[in-house]
Amino acid sequence: MATPAKIALQEARLLFSLSMEGGVVSPERVAGVLEYVEKHRPASPTAVLKAYHRLIAAELAKSEAVIEHAGSIGEPVLAAIAAVMSKRYDRKVTAKAKPNPELLAGMRVRIGDDVYESSVAAQLAALAASV
Amino acid sequence: MSTVLEQIEQQIAKLSNKAVKKNTGTIRTVADGVAKIDGLSDVMYNEMVQFPGGAIGIALNLEQDEVGCVILGDISQLKEGDEVTTTGKLLSVPVGKALLGRTVDSLGNPVDGKGPIETKEYYPVEKIAPGIIVRKSVSQPLFTGIMAIDSMIPIGRGQRELIIGDRGTGKTTITIDTIINQAKINKVGIASGDPKFRPVYSIYVAVGQKNSNIVRTIAALEAAGALEFTVIVAAAAADNPANQYLAPYSGAAMGEWFMENGMDALIVYDDLSKHAVAYRQISLILKRPSGREAYPGDVFYLHSRLLERAARLEGKGSLTALPIIETLAGDVSAYIPTNVISITDGQIFLETDLFNQGIRPAVSVGLSVSRVGSAAQIKATKQVGGKLKGELAQFRELAAFAQFGSDLDAKTKAQLERGGRIVELFKQPAFAPLPIELQVAVLFAMQKGFFEAVELRKVVEAAASLKAFFTGRKDALLADIRTKAVLDKDLEAKLQAACEEWKASYAS
Repeated sequence: MATPAKIALQEARLLFSLSMEGGVVSPERVAGVLEYVEKHRPASPTAVLKAYHRLIAAELAKSEAVIEHAGSIGEPVLAAIAAVMSKRYDRKVTAKAKPNPELLAGMRVRIGDDVYESSVAAQLAALAASV
Repeated sequence: MSTVLEQIEQQIAKLSNKAVKKNTGTIRTVADGVAKIDGLSDVMYNEMVQFPGGAIGIALNLEQDEVGCVILGDISQLKEGDEVTTTGKLLSVPVGKALLGRTVDSLGNPVDGKGPIETKEYYPVEKIAPGIIVRKSVSQPLFTGIMAIDSMIPIGRGQRELIIGDRGTGKTTITIDTIINQAKINKVGIASGDPKFRPVYSIYVAVGQKNSNIVRTIAALEAAGALEFTVIVAAAAADNPANQYLAPYSGAAMGEWFMENGMDALIVYDDLSKHAVAYRQISLILKRPSGREAYPGDVFYLHSRLLERAARLEGKGSLTALPIIETLAGDVSAYIPTNVISITDGQIFLETDLFNQGIRPAVSVGLSVSRVGSAAQIKATKQVGGKLKGELAQFRELAAFAQFGSDLDAKTKAQLERGGRIVELFKQPAFAPLPIELQVAVLFAMQKGFFEAVELRKVVEAAASLKAFFTGRKDALLADIRTKAVLDKDLEAKLQAACEEWKASYAS
């Protein structure tokens, strides 16, 4: 017999699949799903919505490249990274800059679960680990 | 010239500036050494993942939205939201001769305070067992030094022989005796300078044992001078279940190195009951469906894939496995015991009743078997001990019937007398394995009736005297038996004469 947590996850997956249009998250559909949940409350609405939130957030992260950088970064660089990532992941990817002085120099691009690391801080950490 | 160098330098610079791709996830929950992780979409089954603070995990459950990992190491610093990264590597442990004489944990890290282990080679902890083509049938003996086993339940190099019995029946003692015996044989063989001599290295894997017991085992091996040929893999009861689950596989990887490099190794898993319990704990926390006795469905595969790694390989070495299983109230038909019995090539069953009667090692001849049989025995042992198992089984049957009546015919009485003497003769103290040549000499004396005149209660004493006589005064004869490994007419005559000489001196 399925546990309440499992049932909530199954319902969230169903809502998630209803929120997709053409392989991407559709804001209109999300709004529709939330309206439906408001009207027809599931057995454990908080658990369902939390799981739904997690699934949507993970999906949205796949289409947004968060570029952490130390020092300044120009629009052309952001656009170039977005173009490369769009090609690599075969979907439209937007780029968002996020300053992070802890990197010392270089940048870190995070898209979904993947992280592309090209920072001095990471190289120093790797060096420290190997010594 | 300088342009060429600049080009190469530029290429190196390009490489070092290349972005490193990592696949990451975040910890959702951590409980009892198991973490549930969101993300890690590229993780492979059994891949090592890196947790913050240096802890390592292994991905065991790959689900639609999350990954279940067992954590090896300190979990006290981990918290929800921490980032976890994939490594692209399978868990590996250091292997090689540098591990001999050392005690390591399930990751191969030294825990004996003797400094770092200098080894460059690593073997994966999980490995597919050798296939059919590369295997060779078991035909070389592996002497345990225990007369009851070497003469009736012989073990061969590359065999898997289960040691099963209730708690406190001497299961560990048998394996330690075997390890000590290998060390003794190694020392004699290496000293002889025989180029054909193949030493046997031992790996003792302690799973879920008390630290005090592990220390006692190490001390016994050290006292017997066997530690220098032995690797100890310790995953004590206080270690987390993930380490206990991995320890036998780590030990197997270390043993495989010897096998792959043309050497012979012996591995003791002490014990697989606790290993199954640790795996059950992990599986229940991972919410895998549970079956009989709450063990997960793949508990058979847990042990079969481990024990299948013991083999004798064509053109290479061998790995002999001695797994231990602890039974409850002698119940060999429980879940884990029946599983392991069906996987192994035989079992040595130890009985509490025999142990309490003072028959030690408490080997139950009726329930013990070696499926390799006499293929793993030297001819001399076959000559003197070929019929012993049958005789002893018959004795036990007769002894059970004899309890009900006192009127026994002469033949039955004689059989009982002889059986009683064999039982006495097989009594052996712990940590004192007997060389095979001495076993042959004692069994020869028994077959030729040299103990018939000795009172039953004095057979142990007489056997000790005979052993001392042979070791002290017939060293050359023992060496002859060892090298020839068969009793020809000349050796038989010499043995007969020696036994008569002993009888004369013992009677006086």
